[in-house]
Amino acid sequence: MPESTLDRSAVDALRAQFDRRLADASTDQSLKAVTDEFLSRKSGAVTALMKALGGLPPESRREFGALINELKTSIETQLADKRAALEQSRPPAGAVDVTLPARSMPVGRVHPLMRVRQQVEDIFARMGYEILEGPEVEDDFHNFEALNMPPDHPARDMQDTLYLGEPIIGGTWGAHRAHTPAARRADGLASGIPAAQVRAATLLRTHTSAMQIRYMKTFRPPVRIIVPGRVYRRDNLDLSHTPMFQQIEGLVVGPGITLAHLKGTFEALLTEIFGDVRIRLRPSFFPYTEPSAEIDISCGNCKGSGCPTCKHTGWIEILGSGMVHPAVFEAVGYDPEEVTGFAFGVGIERLAMLKYGVDDIRLFYENDLRFLSQFPI
Amino acid sequence: MKILVSWLREYVDVPGTPEDIARTMSVRGFAVEGIEPAGDGDAVIDFEITANRPDCMSVVGMAREIATAYGLQVRRPAVRGRDTSSPVDPTAKPSLSLASLQPGGEDDVSITIESPDLCPRYAGALADVTVGPSPAWMQERLAAAGVRPISNIVDVTNYVLLELGQPMHAFDLSRLSGGRIVVRQARAGERLVTLDGQDRELTAGMLVIADATQPVAVAGVMGGAASEVHAGTTTILLESAYFHPLSVRRTSKKLGLKTEASMRFERGCDPRLPVTAMERACALLEMTGAGRARGTVVDCYPTRVEPTSLRLRRSRVAGVLGAELHDSDVRRILDSLGFALRDAEDGWDVTVPTRRVDVVREIDLIEEVARHYGLDNLPVAFPPVSIASAGFDPRARRARQLRNVLTGLGFSEAVTFGFISEAAAAPFAAEGDPVPIANPLSETFAVLRPSALPGLIDAVAHNRRRQVRDIRLFEIGAEFGRTSGERRTIACAWTGAATAEHWGGGARDVDFFDMKGVAEVICQALGLSPRVETVTRPWLVPGRAAALIVGDREVGVVGQLSPTIADRHGVPANEAVYVTTIALDTAEALVPAGDVQVESLPRFPSIVRDVSILVDDTLAAGTIRETVRTTAPTLLESVREFDRYQGKGIPEGKVSLSFHLTFRSAERTLTDADVQPAMDAVLGALRDRHAAVQR
Ligand SMILES: [Zn+2]
Repeated sequence: MPESTLDRSAVDALRAQFDRRLADASTDQSLKAVTDEFLSRKSGAVTALMKALGGLPPESRREFGALINELKTSIETQLADKRAALEQSRPPAGAVDVTLPARSMPVGRVHPLMRVRQQVEDIFARMGYEILEGPEVEDDFHNFEALNMPPDHPARDMQDTLYLGEPIIGGTWGAHRAHTPAARRADGLASGIPAAQVRAATLLRTHTSAMQIRYMKTFRPPVRIIVPGRVYRRDNLDLSHTPMFQQIEGLVVGPGITLAHLKGTFEALLTEIFGDVRIRLRPSFFPYTEPSAEIDISCGNCKGSGCPTCKHTGWIEILGSGMVHPAVFEAVGYDPEEVTGFAFGVGIERLAMLKYGVDDIRLFYENDLRFLSQFPI
Repeated sequence: MKILVSWLREYVDVPGTPEDIARTMSVRGFAVEGIEPAGDGDAVIDFEITANRPDCMSVVGMAREIATAYGLQVRRPAVRGRDTSSPVDPTAKPSLSLASLQPGGEDDVSITIESPDLCPRYAGALADVTVGPSPAWMQERLAAAGVRPISNIVDVTNYVLLELGQPMHAFDLSRLSGGRIVVRQARAGERLVTLDGQDRELTAGMLVIADATQPVAVAGVMGGAASEVHAGTTTILLESAYFHPLSVRRTSKKLGLKTEASMRFERGCDPRLPVTAMERACALLEMTGAGRARGTVVDCYPTRVEPTSLRLRRSRVAGVLGAELHDSDVRRILDSLGFALRDAEDGWDVTVPTRRVDVVREIDLIEEVARHYGLDNLPVAFPPVSIASAGFDPRARRARQLRNVLTGLGFSEAVTFGFISEAAAAPFAAEGDPVPIANPLSETFAVLRPSALPGLIDAVAHNRRRQVRDIRLFEIGAEFGRTSGERRTIACAWTGAATAEHWGGGARDVDFFDMKGVAEVICQALGLSPRVETVTRPWLVPGRAAALIVGDREVGVVGQLSPTIADRHGVPANEAVYVTTIALDTAEALVPAGDVQVESLPRFPSIVRDVSILVDDTLAAGTIRETVRTTAPTLLESVREFDRYQGKGIPEGKVSLSFHLTFRSAERTLTDADVQPAMDAVLGALRDRHAAVQR
């Protein structure tokens, strides 16, 4: 080959250079600059190559002429394509910048404790429970005595009580038990819905169990209720205590209700709330149930091998339960030889803390919107 | 109850690590609070003893439970040296064969029980002692259990307390006037300086241990300082008694004094234990070289406490547990726990050891069986449904609906405490109406809240301090008052933007009419359409406060929170906070019964006429609207203000109001001719009644 500044590598280099320039060009203006840079009659790089052709021997001239022509055509086509694409991407008339922020549509959040409460209520409603509410202030009989905790009972220490300076009228409660005429006759009630009021409340209820007494005093078995609501104890605020908290207590009474039914109920409830967990019953003591049991779930954090969340036991205490003490049945006029039952109480804060990974119970009562907004709408 | 594993093993040969023991016992009713290593492979297990099991507040008590759990035998405490080799039946009668306790007579202490109902049993013995420190092994065991070693005498009494669960006390005999013991109730005006140095006033009904002249101990709670064993003591009187639980509990509560002794007595000790414990204490005195008993144990036990017997029915066990247990399981468990069984036709007659104060009826025996059979070994079933459920309490359903409505309006739900400070309550209730809490935790929680607003405003302030500016919160809950008792309410608070800042403009802060809108939506959700009237409330800005009224009942209030109150809660006074509260109980009672019955949709088009009038600016729009409505009642479908203007072109003291009047007939398409008479009548009435000038 003769000496020449023109060789294949120069063509290839120019092609590569064009590809880079074209990729960078994203506006009409820059596209025009690229066109000039390569195709301008005066200063275009391809034009310059064409001019250099004249200095080549004829046989090479033909070969390189074809190469350069091909390059030129390719550049022209690509430029035309890009121009068309740019044309296409231009917004139509009346277009808006959809990436600008929307006008905010403020939507509030249900409190996480109420989210959990509603979930638990729904599960029990599906299991055929009646969901009842009751007064937050109660009298001693319904909060303690009828629950097998006479005055001076040591178990009253377990529930340090807040007393009222003077008795007041408590809120109403009304059971809405579904009544067939036969059931109504058995209950001795002319119409379905009695509404009652606590006449002289002397304390803030320490649990919602008082409603179980009121319900049983009004209706004959069978009973299948839960009572969610606020309860109060004389606990100072700290990481895991608040003087007011939310509870759901439940009661099932009927002929032939056994501890096995209690186990089945909580297997269903807790696996629905926490997913794939194992449950364990540990004997415990409550004055109103016998036998009594704490119910634990396997620790989801460590899968049972032990971690700080479960105090290295592999289990997390969730709720208290047990078979209704015959003395409670006697206090409400049920015959413990005819019926048995189970009762339970679960702290909603505890469920919510485990479910949502909250490590300070006080967060639930600060109502910080930065906390509340983390829960889904 | 902290127990050293090596101490336990003196009573039962339990295998495995402390962790194994903890795991096994925690599913038998003894939760474990913690395990701490104690050197030489030993450990302290901290068992949580439930209030019904005072019999397990001791090494022997836990040993018994562990023995049952592991199928082992319990040894009984040595009364001669440290001989711990002979396994024994814990229910057998205690032997009274201590060589040093021969009946003597002259050296015996004189004991009189004046209140046998409060003190069914009192045993006393004398011992000659040399006071000094107790041996290291004893001190270590006490320390492991969290009891401070004091002297060889006191340590022996504490050792027996921890080991057997029998509280004991040692008096310096020389400090007992007349050298005698009288168990009686305190007399009015009597006082006692207790071991903790406190001079305490004793009241009638408190049981005391007295000498010939005065009280020397509060029975079952704490001894007196004057008769305390001290370095120079040479003869002691050892007390081992059984006091009535309720008496000790009341006294301990009244004195505000809880001790290891009182905790056991008030839950219930074993009336059969005092003499066994006395034997053990005397043996320990000898063993440790602290002293030697003399004379005999004087056992004042006027009425023997006999074990009770209960029938346990096979069918009942199955009926409660949902499983047919083998007879052999029932027998094995109860037997091992010290119950004596005799076959009966439908089960067993079971004799309950006197230490088991928690076992008083058949169900308690079933619990014992279930506990050691293992709750996890019982079957799982689902309870049968036999009646239709009534579902949700309407109030719970209503709360859910309100939650949906309010979150849709941008409000987040708050939950605040039911008690607040007296100062926070004051503006929201008549004087003296807030209900005080008799034993409040602190001043911040002194009264039941008369309104949910103070708590809600605190929540607003909390957010405001954390640079959240736009705040909408609501709460559904109870409020309380002396006169009205407990009632349910919903409260809302709104501060900051009504329409948030946006690049397209239109930002606006909340005003009265935003909050009025919220209040009206809540009422609609409750099925009410209240009218709105001006009202005054000490907690609302005058002139920006309204009542929502249905019939003659006020169901709610809406307005701007007083800046003074906002400021007191920590919300900047220059930032308007609008609030509303609706009385849910009142509202509920006003809702018409039955389902909504739909009206058929209009078949003919309406005619809209606009009217602009000038009236006095003190005249309420509601009054004008009412005039319009009553004047053209049949054809007028609706009347609604669409403009209100004051300023340029409007005379001072006047306002321009514009209304859309919509007319419609159910029978035909209206014409201008139909509407004109109505319009004339409306304008005439406005002119006559309100001196309105049409513009
Ligand atoms: Zn864990």
